[in-house]
Amino acid sequence: MSQLLRTVFLVDLLQGLWATFKNQKPSLAVTEQYPQERPAVAERFRGAPRLNTHPDTSETLCISCNLCALACPEQLIVVTSQRNPETKRKDLTTFTYDTSRCMFCGLCEDACPVDALELTQDFELATFTREGQIWDRQMLEEGPLPTEYKF
Amino acid sequence: MEEILNNPYVVPLIFTLLIIALFPLMAGYIVLIERKVLADLQVRLGPMRVGPYGLLQPLADAFKLMLKEDIIPAGADKALFWLAPVVSTFTALSAFAVLPLSDVFYIADVNIGVLFILAVSSIGVLGAILGGWASNSKYSLMGSLRSAAQMVSYEVPLGFALVTALMVAGTLSMQGIVYAQLERGMWGAFENFGLMIVPTVVFLIASVAETARAPFDLPEAESELVAGFHTEYSGFRFALFFLAEYASIFVISGIAVTVFFGGWLRPFPNVEWLAMPLNVAFPLLLFIGIGAGCVYLLRGLILPEQRAVLAGVAGLCFLLGAAFAVPMVNEKIIGLLWFVLKVGVLVYLFIWYRGTFPRLRYDQLMDFGWKWLIPISIGALIVNAVALLVLR
Repeated sequence: MSQLLRTVFLVDLLQGLWATFKNQKPSLAVTEQYPQERPAVAERFRGAPRLNTHPDTSETLCISCNLCALACPEQLIVVTSQRNPETKRKDLTTFTYDTSRCMFCGLCEDACPVDALELTQDFELATFTREGQIWDRQMLEEGPLPTEYKF
Repeated sequence: MEEILNNPYVVPLIFTLLIIALFPLMAGYIVLIERKVLADLQVRLGPMRVGPYGLLQPLADAFKLMLKEDIIPAGADKALFWLAPVVSTFTALSAFAVLPLSDVFYIADVNIGVLFILAVSSIGVLGAILGGWASNSKYSLMGSLRSAAQMVSYEVPLGFALVTALMVAGTLSMQGIVYAQLERGMWGAFENFGLMIVPTVVFLIASVAETARAPFDLPEAESELVAGFHTEYSGFRFALFFLAEYASIFVISGIAVTVFFGGWLRPFPNVEWLAMPLNVAFPLLLFIGIGAGCVYLLRGLILPEQRAVLAGVAGLCFLLGAAFAVPMVNEKIIGLLWFVLKVGVLVYLFIWYRGTFPRLRYDQLMDFGWKWLIPISIGALIVNAVALLVLR
């Protein structure tokens, strides 16, 4: 009997309507207005690579050991260096990193003995050309500069 | 000047042109409201980018639709393909001819008003059928078959519900129905010792099906049929179908308001002391409240263009509020306000249904129409007729 009454007076439908009605506050919206509001990525997120420099002298921390290039499963890192005759150490000349082939596995930063190469939390890696995906040393040290939008 | 205005064709002609010119804009804003309300129901934001809080989105959409390439499929029947959206839009808009938007703002008050609307909206089905047939596409044809079956079968309970209401009101003229409600001091929905509530509910359900809106939107079930009868349409032709859909929503809500919810009358039209608070204080508060809300929202905006648009909207609201404070203007437009508010509530109801109910299966739809709505509406007709005879 009560089931019949529920059907006749459309109680289930009204319950459904009430459920949607009370959840329609705009403040409940979970939408992120992307360029205005940026998502907080996870703490261990692996994004754009960065070649760290010394904070005081702004010299590169990289010792050109080539371990990252060897660790990379995609072999997309190319490190070239020159032996400095005075200090007997290798000086970094070029460092290229092809982000178009990178799968952000993080093996390169694990391999780095001096924490010079690091995957940061930046995720805006889009470029207008394929060549733009291949980052040189300057790009790696400065980081990507995405367009700033005004709202 | 006086002579021109006294000509019986001039004022209706002006109103006709006004409606044809303004309704596309209004339909655009109904779409915006629909998108915003639906977004709220689905915990989203909806359009936010074009204009402040998406306020200019309808204009952007209109420009997009007009500038888009107009594709006619290779195998299409060109003449019918051209004709279908015209038929849809024409029939949907011509129903406005007898819709009383207020006591002064109406085009014609004919003594067969309701009949005219039913006739014209039935021709609207033809647009859907022609569009689906002429597209020469399976999806379109399936969609148009479905919409034809659906619209034809839901027209029956819709008609019976209307007949019941007409019986109680005692007239077919749309203005006459409103005046009958004024005379009896009661909305059509509560007439006849509360028995009219059944036809009202039947009408509300059948009108959702008649306009093919969710949960009865089988003709354009996206997951099965791409978009139904207007799958192959693009650009301006698609815009015409879209316009027709929203015009028919507005018209059917307008009929429901006129017949069941007192038309352009304010609530409790016979209670004298409510005239001041409802006809003057309420619109004043409403528009000033909206304006104040816009001013409050201004602080969230940075771009000067967007701030200017929102400030303009706020100014418009204050202006409208001020217009309602002038007794002479108030008299002329208060009916329109109540009509639009009531239609707005019904349109909100349509959107609310869409945000809540899942789509019916095709056989469920037909079962519901033929096995439930039609018998209920016939029963309600008989019961109301008996009650009228015996009790009144």
